[in-house]
Amino acid sequence: MSYTLQRKRNKINRQSLIIDIFIWAFLILAALFILAPTIFMFTASLMPANDILKMPYRWIPKGFYWQNYWQGIRGNDGSFIYIRNILNSLIVASAVAATTVIFSALAGFGLAKYYFKGRTLVFMIIMATMMIPFEAIMIPLYLVTTKLGIQDSYAGLIAPFLVNAFGVFLMRQYFITFPDEILDAARIDGASELMIFRTIILPNSIPVIATLAILTFKAQWDNLLWPLLVVQSEEMKTIPLYIVKFMGEKHTDEGAMMAVAAIASIPILVVFFKLSKYFLGGAALYSSRKG
Amino acid sequence: MSKRISSYSIERKKARWGWIFVTPTLIFFSLFSFYPIFNALYTSLFKKKLLSLKPPDFIGLDNYIYLLKSPDFWNSIRATVVFTLGTFIPLLIFSLIFAIFVMSRKRFQNFFQIAYYSPAVLSSVVAAVIWLLIFDPRGLGNQWLNLIMNSPGIDHKWLANSVMVQMSTMLVYFWKYVGYFTIIFIVGLASIPQSIYEAAKIDGANDWKNFWYITLPLLKPTTILVSIISMLQCLRTFSTQYLFTQGGAPLGPINVITLNIYHTAIRDHRIGRASAMSVILFVIMLLFTWVQFKSSRADEISY
Repeated sequence: MSYTLQRKRNKINRQSLIIDIFIWAFLILAALFILAPTIFMFTASLMPANDILKMPYRWIPKGFYWQNYWQGIRGNDGSFIYIRNILNSLIVASAVAATTVIFSALAGFGLAKYYFKGRTLVFMIIMATMMIPFEAIMIPLYLVTTKLGIQDSYAGLIAPFLVNAFGVFLMRQYFITFPDEILDAARIDGASELMIFRTIILPNSIPVIATLAILTFKAQWDNLLWPLLVVQSEEMKTIPLYIVKFMGEKHTDEGAMMAVAAIASIPILVVFFKLSKYFLGGAALYSSRKG
Repeated sequence: MSKRISSYSIERKKARWGWIFVTPTLIFFSLFSFYPIFNALYTSLFKKKLLSLKPPDFIGLDNYIYLLKSPDFWNSIRATVVFTLGTFIPLLIFSLIFAIFVMSRKRFQNFFQIAYYSPAVLSSVVAAVIWLLIFDPRGLGNQWLNLIMNSPGIDHKWLANSVMVQMSTMLVYFWKYVGYFTIIFIVGLASIPQSIYEAAKIDGANDWKNFWYITLPLLKPTTILVSIISMLQCLRTFSTQYLFTQGGAPLGPINVITLNIYHTAIRDHRIGRASAMSVILFVIMLLFTWVQFKSSRADEISY
């Protein structure tokens, strides 16, 4: 009897071992598949073009072919416009992140901690904008920016994204849990509402501010559609637009293309690995969006 | 509730500050969300050309009638629907599997999360550029597929064949976002109390039963959330298709609605017609959001 029990236990152990190995293999293969294109970009950016499309692909570059990076930064016409375009992306994404954080925090604070008539309505109106996809309003927005004469400028690139409903929602959810007693104590001490916001609320919401700032920055860094509409001059292009242009040029080879893509990715990847908890937290926060 | 007695004027003052705090955001949304969507509705009733000085002609619903008769627009609807279904179903299934497998490991959970999420960090333009090279006839795409299918030397025409080019865009999107949805599922999984599994263990449930009778039902709200978010995202896809056509892929099979709006407005200068398309896209997405709202209300789960 104890012998058959032992055998049964062995069988279960063996079965769970097989399942275990299967899961590990699955996860590792998936990780390889997901990481491969990024690794491909970096290795290919260090190879001369005719090494990249060689069959089979050699994952380890023979040497460091820095010329790709030089060509990418210099541009095919030697104008170094890519540097300017990277700066544009930085300026636009940072500005949008900053304004989004400020306006979202203000509105979220107002909605979370002040009782005024129509508060629920205001909140619902703001949430309703989530249902309006940018793609559906881009044409009217484009017409407005041309009418205002701010197309092809930082103002035009930034204006439609000053704040978003998700940010307001995120901030409101965060501030609701903030204890009222602290705010009241500050009021008794004579602090104005703005002072409370600046000296009590903001310093105590660094994690949520960081998450929102990073998500917004990333979204703008990635934005192709809007710059495609409003930007005309080479000087005002952002990274995605430069990549599109560079791709279409005759003298661009595969190596330089990958170098340009790598340059665009290195900053955001560095930030990601440094601050991965805010990125992963961001996805998690997004999931609390329902309701 | 002693506060209420203390002073009426403090409450009034606070109410005023509440308004002051929300006003900038409200002004912004009226200018950059509500005005444009009503403007799109209005413009869709006119025959309006970009850069034309002539006042637009009111043509009623002609733009919509034209679109509903236009094979080009129906092709866009088809391309968008095919892309959405072909992307979000694998996304949903695989992100769920990834999440469950990652959570079942005692070690390297963090590593896998970061690895799977990393493509979502790259910009979609960069993603498209990388994959354009992978899909080159001499690229990694053919090498991998030939390795798996044991068919050396075959070119699968990733970008040239009309079926393959659709698959290619789906693959890029899947690759980029599967980690993102994995994380959302992991959050959902983490919120299921461990005590339920312990109780089930005492009742003699195995892993498979656990999954089927506990994890999956309790994960339903997350599953609905992920499917709606991913569907909405897929309906809005633009960058991948745009880059692929710029890279030489045929436009027809992957001419999604957003791409069509862009071309109609910017290349053809037909603002009225593009607005009508925008409104149709808006209505489609509104329907999905409504479904999300409905289902997330109906599925509040208490443990």
